[in-house]
Amino acid sequence: MDHRPQAWGRPRDDIYGAYDGSYLQTTGPKQNTQAPVVTGTSVVALKFKDGVVIAADNLASYGSLARFTDVKRLRVFLDTSVVGFGGDVSDMQYLDRHLNELAIDESYETDPSAPDAGALNAANLHKYLQKLMYKRRNDFDPLWNQILVAGLDSGSKPFLASVDLRGTAFSSPSLASGFGAALAQPIMRKYAATEEDAAKLSREDAVKVVQECMKVLYYRDARSMDKYSIAVVTKEGVELKEDEQLEKQSWAFAERIRGYGTQTV
Amino acid sequence: MFRNNYDNDSVTFSPQGRIFQVEYAAEAVKQGSVVVGITSKKHVVLVALKRNAEELSSYQKKIFAIDEHAGIAIAGLTSDARVLSNFMKQQCLGHRLTYGRDLPVRTLVDMIGAKAQQNTQQYGKRPYGVGLLIAGVDEQGPHLFEFQPSGMTEEMVAFAIGARSQMARTYLEKNLELFADCSREELIAHGLKALKESLVQDRELTIENTSVGVTGFSKADDGSTKVEQFKVFDGQEVNGWIESVADDKAAAEGESMEVDG
Amino acid sequence: MTSIGTGYDLANSIFSPDGRNFQVEYAVKAVENGGTSIGIRCKDGVVLAVEKVVASKLLKQGANKRIATVDRHLGVVYSGMVPDGRHFVDRSRDEALAWRDTFKTPIPTADLASRMGGYMQAYTLYQSVRPFGITAIVGGFDSELELPVDGEVGSGPAVGAGGKTAGKKHGGPFLYMIEPSGLYWGYYGAAAGKGRQVAKAELEKLDLGGAGELSLEQAVKEAARIIYLSHDDVKDKKFELEMSWISGADGPTKGKHQEVPKALREEAEKEAERLAKKAVEGDDDDDDDDDSDDDKKDGDKMEE
Repeated sequence: MDHRPQAWGRPRDDIYGAYDGSYLQTTGPKQNTQAPVVTGTSVVALKFKDGVVIAADNLASYGSLARFTDVKRLRVFLDTSVVGFGGDVSDMQYLDRHLNELAIDESYETDPSAPDAGALNAANLHKYLQKLMYKRRNDFDPLWNQILVAGLDSGSKPFLASVDLRGTAFSSPSLASGFGAALAQPIMRKYAATEEDAAKLSREDAVKVVQECMKVLYYRDARSMDKYSIAVVTKEGVELKEDEQLEKQSWAFAERIRGYGTQTV
Repeated sequence: MFRNNYDNDSVTFSPQGRIFQVEYAAEAVKQGSVVVGITSKKHVVLVALKRNAEELSSYQKKIFAIDEHAGIAIAGLTSDARVLSNFMKQQCLGHRLTYGRDLPVRTLVDMIGAKAQQNTQQYGKRPYGVGLLIAGVDEQGPHLFEFQPSGMTEEMVAFAIGARSQMARTYLEKNLELFADCSREELIAHGLKALKESLVQDRELTIENTSVGVTGFSKADDGSTKVEQFKVFDGQEVNGWIESVADDKAAAEGESMEVDG
Repeated sequence: MTSIGTGYDLANSIFSPDGRNFQVEYAVKAVENGGTSIGIRCKDGVVLAVEKVVASKLLKQGANKRIATVDRHLGVVYSGMVPDGRHFVDRSRDEALAWRDTFKTPIPTADLASRMGGYMQAYTLYQSVRPFGITAIVGGFDSELELPVDGEVGSGPAVGAGGKTAGKKHGGPFLYMIEPSGLYWGYYGAAAGKGRQVAKAELEKLDLGGAGELSLEQAVKEAARIIYLSHDDVKDKKFELEMSWISGADGPTKGKHQEVPKALREEAEKEAERLAKKAVEGDDDDDDDDDSDDDKKDGDKMEE
């Protein structure tokens, strides 16, 4: 007799014959996205005294395959904010198109003689994305991303906040999504644990810290790449570089790592 | 009376290209009591003359807050104004909820403009029988808009609509240059003076029949704007302002006032 | 209007025995009362301009825009009933957005004109609506460059996106005018509203079309001049001139529809005012023959 738990309480096949499930529906309930497919890894961002630095590598992975190596995951909004996307790349593209339409719509109402006054700033944009993501999660059709929004708020002060596929939103002087939350955050917090610390940080230092984080992530995150994009947002606008290369890599530490691969000890 | 064939609905053009139903709706605005609006660089005020149906009844409200940063003054059918007012309140709240900011005033005004235009192009609808002055502040500063039943919306420096409003407009045109640099109190005083121009003989501004609405903004040192919440003042609250523009006071202030007025 | 009183003009979408839709013709009358608007398509861009009659001193100067942007590369100006114009603009924006959603690329000017022509025409078909009381002028610059397909991964394919043929010229400046009947044509120079006849006569003199040599900056100046010339000083005292332009990606607006910069506009206005004054003083009655001729063509017959 079959004593496995999954057979408990069921009519015995040897007496009643195999259960005929043919009349049952074979289709389950409608299902939306259950998992991301082509993905981008971490986005890291750090505030400094005049603005925000944000970076993400240019890789889109298909599982563990490094599928696309020139994917730009930082998108500029209205020349005043930068949105960094981690997670599903097709959802990122959908959001990118959507934000482009939002930007066009916004430009209809902007006074051309004072283009800066009254346009959607990063804080407004983040609030909007939060509502969008939360609605999609409540529809059980989430956009599978974690998003960092970098820019300035209504008082022209540096603004940095995150929103994820559940609509969870929070803000901090430094933020990192994905693996970066574990590997980059401790580094950035060494330099800017509080808003006060961040307000003392110079632009050069902030860029250096973020570059250092990108390097650590490349060393430790197997879904990362050494080509990356980095943007600096200040009152003057957005400076976006999309073809950066990690410099001065040293893999000497790899020699000392034990416990992986074909090593016997 | 001459029977006009082209004035039965808002979907028929007259041979001259006019739509009489819309023009008649504009007449309804002129039946409402007068309201005045003025902007300066920092403030925008609405002042209104309230009417009561009979001696013992209360006065009909004329100025309504829409959101923290905007309000309206109405002339014409009050019930039509309420439809528009509710719509504007919803739009402002919706925008605040999704973007965390005040709805820009022009965007708000364009929305009711589009809504009103629909009523002039489809059979079975009628134009709104109300005119509005919309006062609000956003990051570009204070704004005053006029809304007409045709769906026409225009930004004004100062304006007056309603019964006998031409006299108020004449006052505003004469003093147009002064408004930009006026203080909050001076702006209200100008509004009340314009309102007085439109009064019927022997009528006066009283705390019962006068209503004032104000909003404004100031730029803080860090570049952020601080909005003075739109507030409607009635009754005892407007007493001081009415006294400050009383006839005997204005005369005592000197000749220049008389010449301007 | 001999047909007034015959009853065929009392509702929209009714044919008279001689095959006319009077309500559409009356809508044209509404346009003819509106401030003049013009569009010029020259070799490297499009200019739109409109005469805004200042009805009251109390209007805020320069605040009430009449030229609207539809998507980034398209502009619309109109003569006639302004709220109808706003409706037209709102719908145009919806069309441009829907096109982006479907095709992931900006709407070509010709397609927007086609869709909006269809939309206006639909308002001549039913008794439950009235035609638009506007004539709209749509200007746009379709990108000549290989545009990245919106939101694609990486830099995408190196050639061939958007079904473009190598070596063939794509995109460029375009101009269309849509009338209340829904009728629309492409133009090199288009004019609507009160002063359209003077404006048309002037537009015809410009070096436009085919191998036309007029540059965008010259076109801005010509547009200002034509608006000033067509303005009727006697009937309407004051007016504001509003102008916008669209160049290609290598031009001053980088493919976007924008308001003409203040400095350039004021320079153009100064010269336009001088020329308009001169024209009034000089002899200008040689245009009169053209006018009566144009008048007949202007009758907005739907079969045209």
